[in-house]
Amino acid sequence: MASKAKSRWADDEADAALEAQLKKEKEEKKRLKAEKARRLEAEKQAREAAAAAAQQEGDGANGPPAKRRKVSPERETAQAAGGSDGSANAPKLLRFDGGAFGKSRSVENYDKLNDIEEGAYGWVSRAKEAATGKVVALKRLKIDPKDRGGLPVTGLREIQILKDCDHRNVVKLREVVVGDDTSKIENIFLVLEFLEHDLKSILEDMPEPFLASEVKTLLQQLASGVAYLHDNWILHRDLKTSNLLLNNRGQLKIADFGMARYVGDPPPRQLTQLVVTLWYRAPELLLGAARYGASIDMWSVGCIFGELLTREPLLQGRNEVDELTKIFELCGVPTDESWPGFRRLPNARTLRLPPSSGGKTASGSVIRAKFPLLTAAGVGLLNGLLALDPDKRPTAKEMLAHEYFRQDPKPKQEAMFPTFPSKAGQERRRRRETPNAPARGQQAADFGAVDFSGIFAGREREERGGGFSLRMV
Amino acid sequence: MSHMANPLATPDQLFQRRSFGSLPIEFQDTVFFATQCLTQAAGLLLQLPQSVTAQANVLLARYWLVESMMSHEFGDVSAAIVYLTAKLSPHPRSPRDLANVYAYLLSPSTSLFHPPTAPPPPNNPSIYYLSEPAYQTFHTRLLALEAHILYTLSFNTHVALPHPLAITYLQALEFLGTQKEKIGKRAVAYLNTALLSPQMLYLTSQPNALAVAAVYNAARDVGAKMPECEWWEVFDVDREELGFLVVGMRSVEGWGAKIRGDLKGMMMGVGRGMVTRGHVEGELGRRGVKVGNGADVVDAEEEVARRMDEKMAEMEAGV
Ligand SMILES: Nc1ncnc2c1ncn2[C@@H]1O[C@H](COP(=O)(O)OP(=O)(O)O)[C@@H](O)[C@H]1O
Ligand SMILES: [Mg+2]
Repeated sequence: MASKAKSRWADDEADAALEAQLKKEKEEKKRLKAEKARRLEAEKQAREAAAAAAQQEGDGANGPPAKRRKVSPERETAQAAGGSDGSANAPKLLRFDGGAFGKSRSVENYDKLNDIEEGAYGWVSRAKEAATGKVVALKRLKIDPKDRGGLPVTGLREIQILKDCDHRNVVKLREVVVGDDTSKIENIFLVLEFLEHDLKSILEDMPEPFLASEVKTLLQQLASGVAYLHDNWILHRDLKTSNLLLNNRGQLKIADFGMARYVGDPPPRQLTQLVVTLWYRAPELLLGAARYGASIDMWSVGCIFGELLTREPLLQGRNEVDELTKIFELCGVPTDESWPGFRRLPNARTLRLPPSSGGKTASGSVIRAKFPLLTAAGVGLLNGLLALDPDKRPTAKEMLAHEYFRQDPKPKQEAMFPTFPSKAGQERRRRRETPNAPARGQQAADFGAVDFSGIFAGREREERGGGFSLRMV
Repeated sequence: MSHMANPLATPDQLFQRRSFGSLPIEFQDTVFFATQCLTQAAGLLLQLPQSVTAQANVLLARYWLVESMMSHEFGDVSAAIVYLTAKLSPHPRSPRDLANVYAYLLSPSTSLFHPPTAPPPPNNPSIYYLSEPAYQTFHTRLLALEAHILYTLSFNTHVALPHPLAITYLQALEFLGTQKEKIGKRAVAYLNTALLSPQMLYLTSQPNALAVAAVYNAARDVGAKMPECEWWEVFDVDREELGFLVVGMRSVEGWGAKIRGDLKGMMMGVGRGMVTRGHVEGELGRRGVKVGNGADVVDAEEEVARRMDEKMAEMEAGV
């Protein structure tokens, strides 16, 4: 079994403790499972009895209300019957299931096990559902009680989008629970399926990089999750390794939808540019594009690709200008041919670029040279994802069809994936220096006014890069 | 992903609504209709697209299937739902906008439920002028209710509307060009009226079924020839459900007239304006009905205090 495979870098002392705790948890789980089964059976019987009683009472009443009330149960039975025996001439109709609605449960249904992440921005902990023993992750919604706008729209969107999603590479939201005092809703928690790791923590601790086949498995799963989101008009807008979770069965799931939103076709005319953590932010965003699309996520996927190969974030700019500089150093300086129309972007008008002619290496892409071990197909894919022109980046679907995934070495089977010591499952994570997605807990406009404009404002500024200097006038 | 589907009411929830101990059903229907109309009026004044207001109508219906009607003032619930729905849409509105619009709609100057034949109400802006303290308390109530509503709906704000589907289905059917336009308009009208109906069709049927029923009714009204086959099955609706919805949608107008009458009775002959919890309790008292639902029991003392507050507010407003 995959989970029994020895960690590639075992730490025996910690492992022993971990194993002991896991064993204890497992036994506890077993006990609770049996209990749950008993309880469910009892509940089922009670429900059936109640339903029968309600049905009887309902039959006694008269008029349209009774008719209305009866519609659902009748339809349900008809549906069940039609579904099971596929009766001869009943039409085959598609049934939509949108679920039901009702009050949130209390967070008291869960017992906290340990903190996973507690920082200025987030609060995530590992917990166990008391009734079932199921281990989950609880993520607290950030609420500023001083915010007279009420509950943050980003948090509400995160919840709604996660509720709407159902894909093996997107983290599942089991429910939303609230603090015990429901007369004042102040504490709101997302109950997420628990995954042992996030990719960032794994990358930081790996003594050896991922194997080529492992990188492929991860990328394939990432692309498949992103394709699902984009198919459903969802932009994630904060893809990065700390928002990608991995379980001990080699399964990757996209998490943290705090920046995500639905976009239509055509996309909304004005979207905030203050999205995506700086190191994963596409050049069109840095140049101030208000209209952007799924391709901003594909840029981030490109950055993650590079990071999986080297275990280091690919483009670690210190600020927006430095980030652009690093991008141009790696991918080349944009020209009217390589990125038609880029000069019309708000922040590009004042951009003074070095002449791209003269055969200087700095003006073309150096991706090939930076990843000498990557196959030609791999370089092709990475180059595509990191195309400066958003229209030239492959879609997630196109990415999945890329030759890179068909060439040897083939993507490693998920079940054969190595396991890693889980920090989330055992101890509080050490605080890491991670840049955060912009505008957390504040108005995007404020952030823009303070930070962004300061950088691109009229003052002449120079940032020195490796092969050239980028001037913002 | 179930973009096209809505969460529906369970039989239990529908049963609860008319169970012993809750507000008498005709009272619930009246309040429901009045508050949905209020919500529509607010949507118009706030210049929200009808799609946003329609979503608010559906969320309001769901909310009252879970939470007791008498637990908050009807106008406040409407305002908080509109605020929340707009916030999640591309057309957010500020608490201040909400406060102004509802202050007007709930004031004696309101044209809400004003009979079209009667002379217009005197427009006296000082009546719906909102003082700063009044705004602050409204704002606080708004935010508390927003959170409470989300909690009650377990944070599920997804609403799929049948309107775009109706238009798509219509395109797929072979009606004459001029007829199509008429049918489309009528179908949308059916769907919008159904939002106001205490029958809560949006909570018992999925959007595809609502859309088909609206198109069916509209085509029949216009006298258009419908396909001879069981065309609704193409849109995954069976005859039984279609029949139910067709009748339901057609009866809304009748309901509306009856409810307007009830409303007038409840508000002691005032032919316009918004019904409040005070009105409902008054009418219950006159009829000698006690509301026995645990959550609904209002402490007598508290009740007297609230009535006095209301009276004071009315006097201050110069009524
Ligand atoms: N479902 C989960 N299972 C395990 N760990 C999680 C889960 N969700 C989040 N985490 C951990 O918490 C961190 C922060 O969560 P995230 O959703 O990204 O919130 P934030 O908005 O604060 O970045 C993640 O990087 C990951 O380490
Ligand atoms: Mg995160």
